[in-house]
Amino acid sequence: MKKESNAPFNPCTKIVLLFLCIIISSLLSSIELELIFVFIIALFCIINKKTKFALKGFLIYLVVYFVSILTVQYGSNTLRSLLMPFLGLVHKVYPVCMFSMLILSTTKVGEFLSAMGYAGVSKKITIPLAVMLRYIPTVREDWRYIKDSMYLRGISPSFFGFIKNPALTIECIYSPMIIMASKAADELTIASITRGIESPKKRTSIIEIRFDFHDVFALIAGVLITVLVIYRRFFL
Amino acid sequence: MIELKGINFTYKNAKNNSLNNIDLEIKKGEFVLISGASGSGKTSITRVINKLIPYYYEGELEGTAKINNDLVSSYQMFELSEIVGSVFQNPRTQFFNVDTNSEIVFGLENQGIPRDILKKRLKETCETLDINKLQNRNIFHLSGGEKQKIAFASVYAMNPDIYLLDEPSSNLDIPTIEVLKRHLSVLKNSGKTVIISEHRIYYLMDLVDKVIYMKNGQIQKSYSKEDFLNLSEDEIKAMALRCRKKTKLNIEMSNNEKHPYLQVSDFSIYRKDNCIINNMNFSANKGDIVAVIGSNGVGKTTFLRTLCGLHDDYKGDVLLNSKKTNAKKRRQKTYMVMQDVNYQLFAESVFAECKLGIENASDALIEEILNEFDLSDYKNNHPNTLSGGQKQRLAIAVGLICNKEIFVLDEPTSGLDYTNMVKTVELLKRYSKDKIIFIATHDTEFANLICNRVLDLENRWKGEL
Repeated sequence: MKKESNAPFNPCTKIVLLFLCIIISSLLSSIELELIFVFIIALFCIINKKTKFALKGFLIYLVVYFVSILTVQYGSNTLRSLLMPFLGLVHKVYPVCMFSMLILSTTKVGEFLSAMGYAGVSKKITIPLAVMLRYIPTVREDWRYIKDSMYLRGISPSFFGFIKNPALTIECIYSPMIIMASKAADELTIASITRGIESPKKRTSIIEIRFDFHDVFALIAGVLITVLVIYRRFFL
Repeated sequence: MIELKGINFTYKNAKNNSLNNIDLEIKKGEFVLISGASGSGKTSITRVINKLIPYYYEGELEGTAKINNDLVSSYQMFELSEIVGSVFQNPRTQFFNVDTNSEIVFGLENQGIPRDILKKRLKETCETLDINKLQNRNIFHLSGGEKQKIAFASVYAMNPDIYLLDEPSSNLDIPTIEVLKRHLSVLKNSGKTVIISEHRIYYLMDLVDKVIYMKNGQIQKSYSKEDFLNLSEDEIKAMALRCRKKTKLNIEMSNNEKHPYLQVSDFSIYRKDNCIINNMNFSANKGDIVAVIGSNGVGKTTFLRTLCGLHDDYKGDVLLNSKKTNAKKRRQKTYMVMQDVNYQLFAESVFAECKLGIENASDALIEEILNEFDLSDYKNNHPNTLSGGQKQRLAIAVGLICNKEIFVLDEPTSGLDYTNMVKTVELLKRYSKDKIIFIATHDTEFANLICNRVLDLENRWKGEL
């Protein structure tokens, strides 16, 4: 774990943990427990050397948490009925989103493919997933260019610009995004099939993919938390 | 080695044949250049050889294609990938990994080669191609030239017998083209078969054995190296091909700077705490067409973005008409045609595109400019259905309709053939009188035709060359 700075956990471990994360967050009954759960995810982010991301993620959640509490305690009926469904959704989705973002930012595409190969998952499932995994960082690049080109036309890509003219803003973001996405998907697919991604041989990897003690430990911790949550929910 | 016989191909949903009765034989170890205008079928030929036609690009394919006496169709895609290596035009998305090391060995990993051999191949590849500096880097932080080197390396690591390259030089500066040339000669010397489709052909003249000239999907003629080099300049122009010799930058500098319209003083640009441009001073007048030159990754695009008010991290002053400007002010005065114009086409038709976000764009002016740009026949079409050259002309036309005083083009010639290049030059010249035009380019042939001044970002502003 000390040697490999980037990838301390096996991609399979991370995916199993993601599934557990979905189960847990759908079963949690109070927002205090959610807060604890987000805190645990933040700790896991720190173990993965994403301290900044962990802090940011936890602080944003803290804000959402207090806004929820204040709305419940002091908000008028209208405010409550306006905000609660939205906040409820945020609470349910937040831990899973945070965890998925962690996985996306710490997993290399090649590493993911090889790990899935070792786990015996079919290429029919893993290749599209890998293309997706690879496509997400290009969106950020695309967005930068699109922002520039909107400014050049005198259209503001900010939130204020969106309020002023929502249809135009959406059109300007939507059409280049879609066109670039279909182009990128084509090019990524071609780049991978011309280099033999469909080969039935077992894929190797230059990055050592190990299943170590800390993977076992993380999985046990994940399963324990899940069992605890299930027990609390159904048997108490 | 490669044998194409009676190949006809029509892309699905296309009206016309892309390839028309192609007969071609390529021997082992031959170095073949496929030349011709955009849309002449150069890329389609390479796709028949690497089986992307019909495996990925569907359509009607007739005729037989053989590699090593076996039908291409009898190979599985992954089997073929061990024999034929393909390097593509756009280096941005031909990567499947985000780090360079994994990318270089990606093909080998797919073949299931054990880790110690992967490491050995990685080391060998980086040493032979002299790219040790690029190991362990994030692909998103590489310049266009560096990306192209990695793309080449990842194919080289697989050690195929046949290399297919589709316009590999289109985003490269001149020193990087020299590197590409050196890499290609490594292939030639080790007896590999190389097939390369390209507009900029000068750097291949020492290497080629055979030049194929294509027009309208047909092989018009096949030349030996000697025959091709013996063609006269006029014949090359008539074929609409680019120069066969390396062109030197040769621009007559005009100087009328008594009352410059644009003045840039003590200008420094930063990107993530790195100083890209340090203390630059220059001025320009309306009517000037300025070539912005400098190698890949030196910061040409960032410079242009700062000039257009899209990048805020700078020190110094930009004066327009002797008045200081801030970023917001400059955004109103400038327009940029980006390297990839797909980002700036938004609307559902060409005509609507010309009106989008532009105040007081009169229909008459739009009609006139579209007519000048040969786009009036397409005015109700969706911009995405246009060809690359047409899209670029549309982006330029939109800029002219905006009628901004400073007009900026970021590498407008990448992927343009001779005819399109000349057309772009003529149009820009016609509208340059009341504007200052900046063009970032690696293309000396293009710069010589159009620019009257040079801004060299590496040697600072030079009055003359």
